[in-house]
Amino acid sequence: MSRQAPEGKNLVKRHALIVLVEHWAIAISGLALILTGLFELPIARRYFITEIPGLRWSGDYVFSLQLHYLFSVVFIAASLFHVVYHWFMGHRAILPQKGDLRESWEVIRSLFGKGEEPPFAKYLPEQRLAYAGIAVIIAGLIASGLVKTWKNLFAPDMDLWLVLWATWAHNLFFVLFVLAFVAHMAAILIKPNRPMIRAILTGWIRRDYAEHRHPLWIAEFALQKKPAVAVTEQDAPCQE
Amino acid sequence: MKTEREHGISRRAFLTGIATAAAAGTVGLPGKARAGGEGAFATLIDLSLCDGCEGREMPACVAACREKNAGVVPEPVDPIPKPFPRGQIEDFSRKQGVTSRLTPYNYLFVQKAEVELGGGKKTVSIPRRCMHCDNPACATICPFSANHKFESGAVVIDQDICFGGAKCREVCPWAIPQRQSGVGIYLHILPTLAGNGVMFKCDLCQDLLVKGEGPACITACPRKAMLIGPKADILAEAERRAAAMNGFIYGKEENGGTSTLYVSPVSFEVLNAAIEKGPGRPHLGKAQRKMEKTDPMARAVVASPVIGLVAGIAAAAGARMKSGKEGGHE
Repeated sequence: MSRQAPEGKNLVKRHALIVLVEHWAIAISGLALILTGLFELPIARRYFITEIPGLRWSGDYVFSLQLHYLFSVVFIAASLFHVVYHWFMGHRAILPQKGDLRESWEVIRSLFGKGEEPPFAKYLPEQRLAYAGIAVIIAGLIASGLVKTWKNLFAPDMDLWLVLWATWAHNLFFVLFVLAFVAHMAAILIKPNRPMIRAILTGWIRRDYAEHRHPLWIAEFALQKKPAVAVTEQDAPCQE
Repeated sequence: MKTEREHGISRRAFLTGIATAAAAGTVGLPGKARAGGEGAFATLIDLSLCDGCEGREMPACVAACREKNAGVVPEPVDPIPKPFPRGQIEDFSRKQGVTSRLTPYNYLFVQKAEVELGGGKKTVSIPRRCMHCDNPACATICPFSANHKFESGAVVIDQDICFGGAKCREVCPWAIPQRQSGVGIYLHILPTLAGNGVMFKCDLCQDLLVKGEGPACITACPRKAMLIGPKADILAEAERRAAAMNGFIYGKEENGGTSTLYVSPVSFEVLNAAIEKGPGRPHLGKAQRKMEKTDPMARAVVASPVIGLVAGIAAAAGARMKSGKEGGHE
């Protein structure tokens, strides 16, 4: 598979196909889990959601639980795949680094015209911190959800305290997951971040934008004496 | 050229990961729900012995149950908040004396069935309450785990965290739990927007069971028509009695199995046709376990971490092999 930018295009590869697949598998299944999770509350019939064309199923708790399980399979498998694959590939660029909190504060100040934005590596310090935050939330959702599923399937008389912990942890992480999703959407609406939308849709990002905002990332290619446009996933140090 | 360390992992750790994933994939899943195991009780209700306490103002079991549970339902607020937007409440606070059906104030009642038996008419009395299913859908579906099956076999609603959404009643094959609006935790959160009271039903006198005592209804029965004991013993006794009377058992297979076994000389199809059914008056017909449909997908959920783990390792191994070929290194 060629990772060359199309001839004459002002582009550089930011995400490999496998990263796009992981991201969208987790994102789409995560949104579906929010929806089907909400329908596990007795709200659909009460609030006439069942009257909306295409959502009649929302009042059927058994069916919505089946859907919740279905999307959980995608969500859990994709999340575990992500962790394991990038761990073995040695991709560490998105993990939080020392000084990220301080640097994030500088970035936020710069958005309000106070001071200059520092030069970035592949990911913004906020992205690295947000990644860690969402990873904790997803881990909590998966762990508590697996306990609940195990109870439903194999151990209905599981210890009450474990069931209550799993249930309320799942509900709490659900709220945090929704908040994290809203924050994620808000972040991509900020003007300087918008060119990154293209990267998560196509894998490619504008080269002039990357050189201007992510010079440390671009410099990594220069250190290897390789043209940025020709960079491959395997060649790039700490690619993901 | 990259070394393994640059990829952030050693060959040893990589192989250990593969071995771990493979081992995880071979771990067998239990074949059956654990509830109903050795520690669980079951009850037997012998309809050949129950006469509905003829001559008494109220059957002894019903009276004992009501006495035991008197005061369980708090006084509802007045007025009871109208749930937005439908405005439907369920209020039995002015009908607390009703004993002819299940209500938030009455967890056991005696159904009557007029049937033909031995060439004559006979009235069969059938004490009805929660069946305490082996894998109760009401507990599976409760979003707050307010409904829980204990190791004793009792399925109990925690009234302190129940919002009265009535999901449990909807998924129960017999629609056993009954709602009282105007009481419970929802009043302190969003009384018109979320929740609508508390669900109430028989808890098999769980507080007495943990003390080694029997449920109030069983203790009170003057004809010993009801028994409680270890589930295996009760099942054996039910089968022995059914065989002796050439009769029938109800509750053994229904909803995937329950902790309540009815034994009757009259078939349950006949009884079901003869009883009055409706809200608070459960049927005696077939009861397929609704949650059964979710089991295959739930099993896939339990297996999904292994799927992700193995796929991740395989993809990483593939990428590294490809990288090694292209770059002339491992």
